[in-house]
Amino acid sequence: MELEFGAQSDRGCVRENNEDSYRAAPDLNLFILSDGMGGLDCGEVASRLAVDTILEHCRKGQASASFPFTGLRIDGVSELTNRLASAVRVANHAVHSAAQHSATNRPMGATVVAVQFADERMSLANVGDSRVYRLRGEDFEQLTRDHSFVAEQMRQGRMTAQEADSSKLHNVLIRALGVDPEVEVDASEELVLEGDTVLLCSDGLTRELSDSQISAVLRETEDAQEATERLIDLAKQAGGGDNITAIVLRSAARPVGALGRVSRLGKWIKDSAERHRR
Amino acid sequence: MPKLVLKFENAVLREVPVGAKEVSIGRSPENGIVIDNPAVSHFHARVFNEEGRIMLEDFGSLNGTFVNGQRVKMVTLKPGDSVAIGKHTIVISDSRDLDGFAAGNGNGKPAPAAPKLNETVMLDTKARRDFLQKVAAVGESAQVSPARMKVATLVVRGGRTNQREYMLNDKLTVIGKSAMATVKLKGWFAPKAAAQINRRDDQSYYIGPADKTPSVNGQPITQPTKLSSGDVINVAGIELEFVYRD
Repeated sequence: MELEFGAQSDRGCVRENNEDSYRAAPDLNLFILSDGMGGLDCGEVASRLAVDTILEHCRKGQASASFPFTGLRIDGVSELTNRLASAVRVANHAVHSAAQHSATNRPMGATVVAVQFADERMSLANVGDSRVYRLRGEDFEQLTRDHSFVAEQMRQGRMTAQEADSSKLHNVLIRALGVDPEVEVDASEELVLEGDTVLLCSDGLTRELSDSQISAVLRETEDAQEATERLIDLAKQAGGGDNITAIVLRSAARPVGALGRVSRLGKWIKDSAERHRR
Repeated sequence: MPKLVLKFENAVLREVPVGAKEVSIGRSPENGIVIDNPAVSHFHARVFNEEGRIMLEDFGSLNGTFVNGQRVKMVTLKPGDSVAIGKHTIVISDSRDLDGFAAGNGNGKPAPAAPKLNETVMLDTKARRDFLQKVAAVGESAQVSPARMKVATLVVRGGRTNQREYMLNDKLTVIGKSAMATVKLKGWFAPKAAAQINRRDDQSYYIGPADKTPSVNGQPITQPTKLSSGDVINVAGIELEFVYRD
């Protein structure tokens, strides 16, 4: 599958540092985003450690299928999804150890979302309140669950969306990397269709912009990098109260079924004709 | 008008004004303030206005109602009082001075400093454990369904596929020619991914369109749609019946 991506991170308009980190590994079709927390530079350290650890674990897993997994196997999802969940658990351990051993001994933590594509499957893993959205035709949908206090209250029907919006506890997480020695990772899979747009973002984007503002940008902007930049610009215009990071992924339109084979055959004939001419 | 501010830890969950009508408090959904916690009785207590005085009455609840730390049967409440029911707190606030009361927790101690705007924080460890335990308990009860012990299965009724039956063990099941498809279609014109079936967290199965628009019981499916036992799916020239097997 052809995958186009754009990625950017911005300090925003208020914060003095950027505690978000991201990694794009197009060779693995792997994209990771993390929002760190903790005083001084702890947030930066935590998020960077999280994304680097995940990337390294997935790379080793790709190189050797026998590279050990960490944590309990999740049933009903592929090897690749299990690998991604395993990588997030290793990242949790890494951030947790770093927090224990840091000279300042200050608590540090991080959210994480990671997606990886293989064939028509997208594997997702997340902890915290950074999100993955998908735009498919007219439908704009959040694919991850936020591990925040208000989101959990809403799921249990104890808070309405309105109450949640006005709650002062938006920023209280119930799960994050680095807080406990072990963490529960949400892992799932989605089918990828041609033309799908997938967005990974930190809460600095979603706190400033509504779903309809975000989906409008994704619909109107063809180039993935340009879409990321426009999203961040809009979030900054809206206040930019937090660090903002966005990764936009687009599965390129490809001809399907018999038609695809015919056009690939056509391309092959054309290519070989050109080779002959040379 | 005075208000009852329902809080959990330092989170404000609800604000309910006390007018002429009494406000009942309890676990049952009929109450004006519902606290969904096993430590709270179905009809636990009520707050009502008596000639301008705000009264609280405990209905003889098992675990009691506490005002500023004292177990009470019937008392007059004043702004700033803190009513503890189970692990929840109800603070009495005079709306003229809401901020003042909301900031204190009623026992004279100042509330912990609120986190700076937009700064992400974790619930502290003990609060989070309690909370997660409660979440897990709710999740468990929601998962008890008659289909729980049964296996969702697709039975092929017509068309060319690689098996006659498919057990839906995976979160994502794809019908198509793709390498990742469970229900493998054969033939030159078969689409890579004709349709998808997702298992959701509540263990129910939803079918949705992919390269093709499937139909369920003759109805075209353009949005993810929940499958029930006996549903007949038609897509890309094949017919499947969705059933729960023992």
